[in-house]
Amino acid sequence: MSRAVRSLGAALLLAALPACVTGSYDRVHLQEPVREADLAGLVPGVAALGDCLQRLGAPWRVLEYDVDQDGNSGAALLWTWRDAAGWGVKAEYGDDTVSGSLSYDAVAAEQPACVLWFDHRLVLQRWRFGTAGDLLPRRQRPAPFADAAEPAR
Amino acid sequence: MPRASILLLALLAGCAFGRQDVNEPILAADLRAFAPGKTSAAEVVAKLGAPTEVVQLGRRSAYRYDATRTKSTVLFLGIVNFANQDARQDRVWLFFDDKDVLLHYGATLSTQRTQYALPWEDVHEAEDHAARDAARAESGR
Repeated sequence: MSRAVRSLGAALLLAALPACVTGSYDRVHLQEPVREADLAGLVPGVAALGDCLQRLGAPWRVLEYDVDQDGNSGAALLWTWRDAAGWGVKAEYGDDTVSGSLSYDAVAAEQPACVLWFDHRLVLQRWRFGTAGDLLPRRQRPAPFADAAEPAR
Repeated sequence: MPRASILLLALLAGCAFGRQDVNEPILAADLRAFAPGKTSAAEVVAKLGAPTEVVQLGRRSAYRYDATRTKSTVLFLGIVNFANQDARQDRVWLFFDDKDVLLHYGATLSTQRTQYALPWEDVHEAEDHAARDAARAESGR
């Protein structure tokens, strides 16, 4: 095989490579972070929900928390954000009948978060920093649908 | 061979910018019209439209409104790409009592802070945020 043919083959392979294997350095900025300093002055047992909202702004999610038999409930407010960078690799294959892809994204592995828990009076109970996966309930079941003609089971 | 590879890499290089907006930005003026203890859920819905999410909190409820702006920048260098994604939201949570009267609300209005950048650039400095916030306030949006 001549050198020119080898060079052409290598060049074609290089040209085809981006379609199947690519490496990427990604940075993601998502939402505004909450810092411990932002929580200074929000005293558990004293600070009301309104005080916390004024200081921290709107949470990412609000969850029902500590519901009693009379239907009273507290609330858990979650703030989450991300400012992370990392390498990722993606491999793809496809033809007329079969396609597939495999990817690894180091950036999306963990996402920092902060949760504030409020009691039935909507007064701050406690707060905690961690990752969203650790702080949120592992599994949420859908609420049963109650039909007036058929009592919920 | 090296010359061909370099030429090929040069031909493959490129960049892309993308912007995605989900929902209309939330207006600060609309929020200022809401008064805890007076404004009803119906009045909020009449002003802001259908919420993105409604959460039951026992006998109480909370409504979420949001708008998201995402700006993406990608530098393609053949088999290695460099990408940056920046997303910020306008987000409001409104809490209502068991009679659907507003108790509290919390707002974060930051879609104007979204920026195009490459991954090694530091963005979101306090001065830059202040300038963008001021420009938004001046524009009334």
